[in-house]
Amino acid sequence: MNKAISRIFIVGVILFVALILNLTWIMAGRAQWFADRPENKRGIAKEMKIKRGDILGYDGSTIAGSLRRSGYYYREYPQGTVAPQLVGYDSVRYGRSGIEDELNDELTGQSTDLGVQSWIDRILGRKPKGASVQLTLVPAVQKEAQKALSGLKGAIVVLDPKTGALIASASAPTYDPANLEDDWARLSNDPGAPLLNRPTQGLYPPGSAFKVVTATSGLDNGKVTPDTEFIDTGTYVVFGGKVTNYGGAVFGPNDFTTALTYSINTTFGKVGNLLGRKRLISSMQRFGFYQTPPLPLPRGTVVPSGRYSKNGLLSPDAFMDPLAVAWAAVGQEQILSTPLQMALVAAGVANGGRVMKPYYTQQVVAASGAVVQKAQPAQWLVAMKPATASELNIMMQRVVNAGTGTAAALEGIQVAGKTGTAERGDGSNLAWFIAFAPAEDPQVAIAVIIEDTQSTGGEAAAPLAAAVIKTALAQPSLP
Amino acid sequence: MSRRSIELLFLVIAGAVSTMAYVSVYAGRFREINRVSIIYGLVFVSIFFLLHLLVRFVLPQADPFLLPITALLAAIGLTEIFRIRPALALTQGQWLLVGAGLFVLTVFIVRDHMKLDHYRYIMGAIGLGLLVATIVLGTTVNGAKLWIHAFGFSIQPSEFAKLAIVIFLAGYLNDKKALLSVPTHHVLGIPLPAAKYFGPLLIMWVLSLAMLIFMKDFGMALLFMSIFVALMYMATTRIVYVVLGGGLFAAAAAIAVAVVPHVQDRFTTWLDPWPYASTSGYQLLQSLFTIADGGVLGAGFGRGFLLYANRQPVVPDLQTDFIFAAIANETGLLGAAGVILLYVLFMWRGFRIAVWAPDGFSKLLAAGLAFAFGLQTFIIIGGVTRLIPLTGITLPFVSYGGSSITANLMLVALLLMVSHRTNVVREGSDLERRRLAERG
Repeated sequence: MNKAISRIFIVGVILFVALILNLTWIMAGRAQWFADRPENKRGIAKEMKIKRGDILGYDGSTIAGSLRRSGYYYREYPQGTVAPQLVGYDSVRYGRSGIEDELNDELTGQSTDLGVQSWIDRILGRKPKGASVQLTLVPAVQKEAQKALSGLKGAIVVLDPKTGALIASASAPTYDPANLEDDWARLSNDPGAPLLNRPTQGLYPPGSAFKVVTATSGLDNGKVTPDTEFIDTGTYVVFGGKVTNYGGAVFGPNDFTTALTYSINTTFGKVGNLLGRKRLISSMQRFGFYQTPPLPLPRGTVVPSGRYSKNGLLSPDAFMDPLAVAWAAVGQEQILSTPLQMALVAAGVANGGRVMKPYYTQQVVAASGAVVQKAQPAQWLVAMKPATASELNIMMQRVVNAGTGTAAALEGIQVAGKTGTAERGDGSNLAWFIAFAPAEDPQVAIAVIIEDTQSTGGEAAAPLAAAVIKTALAQPSLP
Repeated sequence: MSRRSIELLFLVIAGAVSTMAYVSVYAGRFREINRVSIIYGLVFVSIFFLLHLLVRFVLPQADPFLLPITALLAAIGLTEIFRIRPALALTQGQWLLVGAGLFVLTVFIVRDHMKLDHYRYIMGAIGLGLLVATIVLGTTVNGAKLWIHAFGFSIQPSEFAKLAIVIFLAGYLNDKKALLSVPTHHVLGIPLPAAKYFGPLLIMWVLSLAMLIFMKDFGMALLFMSIFVALMYMATTRIVYVVLGGGLFAAAAAIAVAVVPHVQDRFTTWLDPWPYASTSGYQLLQSLFTIADGGVLGAGFGRGFLLYANRQPVVPDLQTDFIFAAIANETGLLGAAGVILLYVLFMWRGFRIAVWAPDGFSKLLAAGLAFAFGLQTFIIIGGVTRLIPLTGITLPFVSYGGSSITANLMLVALLLMVSHRTNVVREGSDLERRRLAERG
């Protein structure tokens, strides 16, 4: 019996040795691996003991503040929700997103470039203090954009065409980051995707708003002038297919300016084939299509625009037949664009053809008060010659003054824009409007997209753009 | 040095270690001073001192290490509970007091464990009754039915059933071991005892299957089935019972995985918790993250990251089933391995008592209790570290919970009685032998 008892004891010891070996594997061997798992939010929770830097609007008001409760800091949003998809959330349970994630090192004072004091603190084992980040977002404009989108699905992006500063970035439907943890299940299952940052992640067919790109290419390559004459019969037959106008309209003789004013598909289809695939795609690339806009946000949350297949972004060299080129020239044919990219198109025209690098950080101020980082506007791309930009500027003014975009006209401010209406297979439309103003000295460039609407871009999107532009131009200062 | 002086010395050491742990927790949150902190120290020290005095007078020749190990484990548990939820430490202290009371009662009423052999069938009935009562009257908590709510308390009857069943089996198997171990025929060359002696094995198998299906708990069924198989083996030294028992349990577990959704859930999340990171695998993964975060040395008692800002623990049920994760986080690999070694030490003393015991019943009783204690520890630590599927079982003396601490203190009392008798029979004075005989 004693032998059997000893054996059972040995089995028990073996089991406990297995426990200790497994524990060693978890706690010593794979400790870092566990710490790095995305499901592991312990790192975030520990950082909640650090006073997180504030996120400020361009006017200095607090968008996301830090509130201390029993030793931990929480985000508070004194102005309510301001660009929650861009600013992002900071949650123990669900991690971080947007700017909260991208600038986490600065906000928690862990960034290496926060100055001498931060180093001293670290060496002495003091808790770091987060730096505050002032954004280029102008809360008044942002709120106007959010108000314009309330009850709708879509996005509004406002840029400063001269600097590339992001003035507003609204996405609807929206969410309240203050209640994120309670609402998570509902938000993450909502088919309207309220957590999605549509301005940089939403891919939509640009429809006729894309004609600005086609026009740029045509004018810049000398294939057309604003006065080049075309004749529209309602149908442009090409390569065994045809391009037709929205609503079956027939315009007869028209010059190129008129074709943009009334968004005549057949004329743009013809211009597309005057250019050919290579020149058209090349102009797209010069606006930033086919690459990820250099807006610093977490991986995967800024997506490139361009021609897409089911498997993702196609190569710029992918083959297109003349019919496809004709449809691409009117913004169809698998071309998808983010609202940000379309705002960059408007901004490029507004800024004499030079596309500025988009950014949202105005400055980073360390806890000591020292400014450790300041925005430095830089040119990103050259989309066209200055002369082309001037011609297009005038043509786009005609759209607002006499064409499809009259709903965007403002008293005393000359707006230049282009509408777009992309028909979805399900009978609903995507309504676009891209614009800049004032036309003679552009201060703002804007892209508005409304999903699931029965109206056109001129009806659904243009009035919203007008309201936001009006608010933006009324601000005492813009970035 | 006498056994009791050794015990006292180690109790003092255990007291010193737990005081340090407590001071560390206290310093970690020194802004909170309340009466819990004072009651904690006083209750704890006096309880174990009184138990020591009792043992000194009633069971002077009992094993000197069990009580200090128990005290140290209880101190670690109480400190960690205080760390996680100070208010619960007070309750746990009260349960410790109740447990100490039951310890005293056990010692005074039983006096000599040999008497229990006469009540083996009553014990068996009590054990079975407790399990059946749990199945019938139990409340489902976290998917498993292990609790009975009565008189404002939550009782986990299986903790007590464990003791009763071990007593019953020790008596029964000691009696029948000759019959059970004599092979009467061979099947495929394997010598087997008469078929009718497999009856108890089948009854136990049906019971464990019932526990799997009705209590929906893999751990409890594994614990009871293993206790039975291990005792059967120790009594008969026939490995065939282990093979058969293991096979039968595997079959029962397979049935349960197929039939009981909760068991199936536990099983799938054990195999791969990652797809269920925010649902059924949340608790297990948080436990692993918390343990891994401890590293080799740990953050120190009271300094780990165990509570969210709203005072919710990072792992649900941290103070009960997952207390080991908290200990591992704060004391690191060294501390966690140290705690495991304390359990090995406890188990070793138990088995040592069994090996030295002069009679079959004492041997089986001590070995059975030590085995049950060790296996329960293995099941919960293995569960929270994902070595085996997770089940809701307590870590003896450490987890928050009244049933666990009282039942396990009674277990210690029984082991002390066996060791006292052993030592008296083997090397005691005439006077001690006479006293022992009078008790019987």
